[in-house]
Amino acid sequence: MMSDAKADISYIEADAADATPAPLTPGQVLRMRARGHRGLQIGMAILLALLLIALFAPLLAPHDPFAQTLSARMLPPVWSEGGRWEYPFGTDQVGRDYLSRLIYGSRISLLVGFGAATIGMLIGVTLGVLAGFFGGRIDYAVNFVLTAQLALPGLLLAMALVFIIGPSVWVVIGIVGVLHWTYYLVVTRSATMRLREIDFVAAAEAIGASRLQILLREILPNLVPQILVIFTFELGVAILAESALSFLGVGIPPPTPSWGLMIAEGKEVMFFRPWQVVLPGIAIFLLVVAANLAGDGLRDITSPEGRN
Amino acid sequence: MLKYSLKRLSLAVAVAVILSFVTFLLLNFATDPAQAIAGEDAEPEVVEQIRKTYGFDRPFLVRYAEWAGGVLRGDFGESYYWNKPVAEIVMNRTPVTLLLAFMSISVTIIIALPLGIVAAFRPNTAIDRMALGVAVSAQAIPNFWLGLIMIILFAVTWQIFPVSGDSSLSHFVLPSFVLGASSVPAVMRLTRTGMLDVMESDYIRTARAKGYRGFALVRRHALRNAILPVISVLAVQLGHKFAGSVITETIFAINGIGRLALESILGSDIPTVQMLIFLFAIVFVAMNLLADILNAVLDPRLRIA
Amino acid sequence: MLTYMRIAALAAMMPFMIPAEARADKADDTMRVAFGEEILNLDYNNTTKREYIILSDLIDEGLFDYDPETNTYIPSVATGYEYLDPLTIEVKLRDGVIFHDGTGLTAEDVAYTYNWVISEESESAAKGTIERWLDKAVAVDDKTIRFHMLEEYPLAVRDMANRIQIRKAGTYDNDPNAAATSLVGLGPYRVESFEPGKEVVLKAFDGYFAESPKQPVSIGTIVIRSLPDTGTQQAELFSGGIDWMFKVSRDVAESMGAAPNIDHVVSTDLRIGFLVLDAFGHTDPEGPLTNVLVRRAMNHAINRDEIAEFLMGGGAQAVHTACHPAQFGCDQSVAEYDYDPEKAKALLAEAGYPEGFDLELWSYRDKAVAEVVLAKLQAVGINVSLRHGKLASLNEARANRQIQAYFGTWGSGGTPDTAAIARVHFSADTDRNMSNNPKVTDLVLAAEVTGDQEKRKALYSEALSIIADEAYWVPMFSYAQNFLVNSELEFPTYADGLPRLYRANWK
Repeated sequence: MMSDAKADISYIEADAADATPAPLTPGQVLRMRARGHRGLQIGMAILLALLLIALFAPLLAPHDPFAQTLSARMLPPVWSEGGRWEYPFGTDQVGRDYLSRLIYGSRISLLVGFGAATIGMLIGVTLGVLAGFFGGRIDYAVNFVLTAQLALPGLLLAMALVFIIGPSVWVVIGIVGVLHWTYYLVVTRSATMRLREIDFVAAAEAIGASRLQILLREILPNLVPQILVIFTFELGVAILAESALSFLGVGIPPPTPSWGLMIAEGKEVMFFRPWQVVLPGIAIFLLVVAANLAGDGLRDITSPEGRN
Repeated sequence: MLKYSLKRLSLAVAVAVILSFVTFLLLNFATDPAQAIAGEDAEPEVVEQIRKTYGFDRPFLVRYAEWAGGVLRGDFGESYYWNKPVAEIVMNRTPVTLLLAFMSISVTIIIALPLGIVAAFRPNTAIDRMALGVAVSAQAIPNFWLGLIMIILFAVTWQIFPVSGDSSLSHFVLPSFVLGASSVPAVMRLTRTGMLDVMESDYIRTARAKGYRGFALVRRHALRNAILPVISVLAVQLGHKFAGSVITETIFAINGIGRLALESILGSDIPTVQMLIFLFAIVFVAMNLLADILNAVLDPRLRIA
Repeated sequence: MLTYMRIAALAAMMPFMIPAEARADKADDTMRVAFGEEILNLDYNNTTKREYIILSDLIDEGLFDYDPETNTYIPSVATGYEYLDPLTIEVKLRDGVIFHDGTGLTAEDVAYTYNWVISEESESAAKGTIERWLDKAVAVDDKTIRFHMLEEYPLAVRDMANRIQIRKAGTYDNDPNAAATSLVGLGPYRVESFEPGKEVVLKAFDGYFAESPKQPVSIGTIVIRSLPDTGTQQAELFSGGIDWMFKVSRDVAESMGAAPNIDHVVSTDLRIGFLVLDAFGHTDPEGPLTNVLVRRAMNHAINRDEIAEFLMGGGAQAVHTACHPAQFGCDQSVAEYDYDPEKAKALLAEAGYPEGFDLELWSYRDKAVAEVVLAKLQAVGINVSLRHGKLASLNEARANRQIQAYFGTWGSGGTPDTAAIARVHFSADTDRNMSNNPKVTDLVLAAEVTGDQEKRKALYSEALSIIADEAYWVPMFSYAQNFLVNSELEFPTYADGLPRLYRANWK
């Protein structure tokens, strides 16, 4: 889960080494490749659908996800005996509509996913580009930070921090983000190093562009495809991390509907009401699969050599 | 190599030291261990008594210094909760976690290697896509959720395996599957990539020309070379299994150090948390080191360099 | 979706699919019970949690015992007590009471135990409670002990019954934790084996005194297993690995109780749930909670009956007092606030908060209840955020006076007396006291040193009515205790909710 980001580093590193910095491909080529890539299409379609569900949750949800009806608590879903269409997926332990909470849960997952992946991106790309561009002492320092980060027990640390600071959506986003930037760093660092050697950077230097200008105008734009790929993967990782924290009770605070929290609430009665565990799990799975498919697809179409 | 290893290890220790101070500080100011020990219905007098007995009433820095002094002498202190030396508790609990770690890494190997090899052997076919599908799915399943589903299906509905506990080997089947599954994507993809690389290489072409076909080719020529990078990744993954068993151990009620870590954090058992943070940091770095060394030893090209 | 529905259907049927296999337990006369809490220490004198009370009830005896049926303290290894003067209690011991190692109980053992608990070296959890009133215990002769007291204290007999278990003289001489792992007690069961954190095996003690109020003791062997996860407990109960579990949530209890070989047993409990409000203004001297109208509004906002009926169930009831209605001195004639959200809104407006205010509510258990409270307070316009976490962090924040309001519960250690809840929450030196009204504190402390029961009652009445009028708390409900029990087992329950395992027997 949380450790997977680290787990995959060596693999991504190998990948990054294979992937030559994406030559500026015309948009048409990309679109053509995308059209031929089934995984990317499926992933993007699911992501888009879930984004729309999150956006239009108030229109889609049959009930207010926070509205409690104690006299109608723990109702079974409609396909079980005693279920009614009023609450298609039944109700939870305080009589809230389960379907509505599932629908609203997409907002939390996406918010944490995008928020944390963005924070991780800012940290990782900044460090990676600096280390790759300047090398030397800066590179050494960044490497130190990287090794330190890798030696941290991520999940435990996140737990301890959330437990101590006190849980809120923003705290979870911050902590998950701060713990997931190593991917970006490793990839952007080596890519920047290689870009530095390439002619047009030297050319820019020759005509007297400042280092900052070179970084922003020449290096960063060339990193965008790779950063985008990692961002998509990290989206999935962050969503899983949030669900794990919420499941352990040190993530999103109740009564906010979070899928991980919903699984934790359903856990106690999972032998009798398994759908309370199964449904939110499927939701998380779909979202993360979509992010991973999209990430795989993006990598394939931006640097087709990368896959093999 | 030795110098490099020592450097990496000392870095891990440095990280652990900083981290230990921060956790000590945070846990001290955010929770009341005396209350955690006393329980919810304890009267204030009782809590006060415990505070005195354990010395929680003394200044924070004094207690940290005492703890750190103990660690320098190799004494990690006594658990507030278990009233026993932390080192003893951790030692008692480590074998279970090690067993779980090795069993899960075996699960990873059993699933990921064949899938990766078959996928590479028939690239861009239905089999390849299926393997990729397995990898993508395994990466997307929340670990804790998979654990719960396994319990519902295999332990309660079909009653094939025990629900939880660690008293026999069959107790480890479900948890090692859950824990092992999380490493399948990385290892599978790496095997596939490695195999593809090797298959393109000259000597395989030569072997093909000699008439080797199908599995014999894989076994005789390709596998040995393709497996090299996989082995070092497995070492890293083993480190993850060791430290990453927190949720799995908790769900399956396995008395290993992962569950101990979770309970100690929630129960404000500071000395135990401290030692586990050290242990995890060092194991993790050691496993990464092992991976580097394995790489160097196994890969002839690197050895020459 | 289809597979998932099949899973759901299978699992819903599960209780009926499991064969009601013949359990070996009745045949070998062994009752296996599950505790969620790990048993790490056998010595009740050094522990506090409820699981240890249950265990201690089986292996230990105090001088007196609480009788839940008559709601009185009755002699156990003592035959009775007598006040020689307001500061001296004389207790006589029964003949024929022996320790698990066969030696007879003497006054020397009793005096040793009490004097040790209050001694300098002692780390006993009971120390604070006992040293408040006990000067010293003296063995007058072989069967007579005199307790010399520091102050008048009507609850001395309660403390003797609930807090101190008798040890042999000399037990702690070399080690304050000497009885932690091997215990020689006086109770109906002796410890056969003990694996800390895992299992305690108890055998009926054949030398147990016949006149004990705990008699008749029927089951031969009791095994206590530590199973921290409730899911594990459920599965073990299904498969026959355990015969008894407690602290079960209502939903689980009702679902599992439907299985043919499992009974759902419900009892009332002395535990009550309530909100404590920062009426004094520790967090903010000008804060909204310092306004009595706001506190009354919050009392009107909570639907107590609904929580008791739908969330707690089985014998739980709405509570309007800062004590359990079954406790001595818990005057039920104090001001009550009915559920009236409109009135709550009006009161908030009158108090100057027509738009409500921000409130951080802390809680540590019963998350569903906390969520209901949150929704109800939000419904009248208070913007509540919930801080649901561990007890240890709640208490630390409260000790630092950082808490505006918390959802607390108190079980009074099973003591049916308002004293057991009042002092802890309203004396001056507890941070649970967030109203800090010196008048209430004086009344509560005066009641503790008043021997005359009528006077004591009057003092509590006055304190409780101030608490109710000023709305320092939002009292909410009393708990119910759910047990799941092997159907072959007869398990009687008592009004205080404390499980008395020695009373269980095979049908």
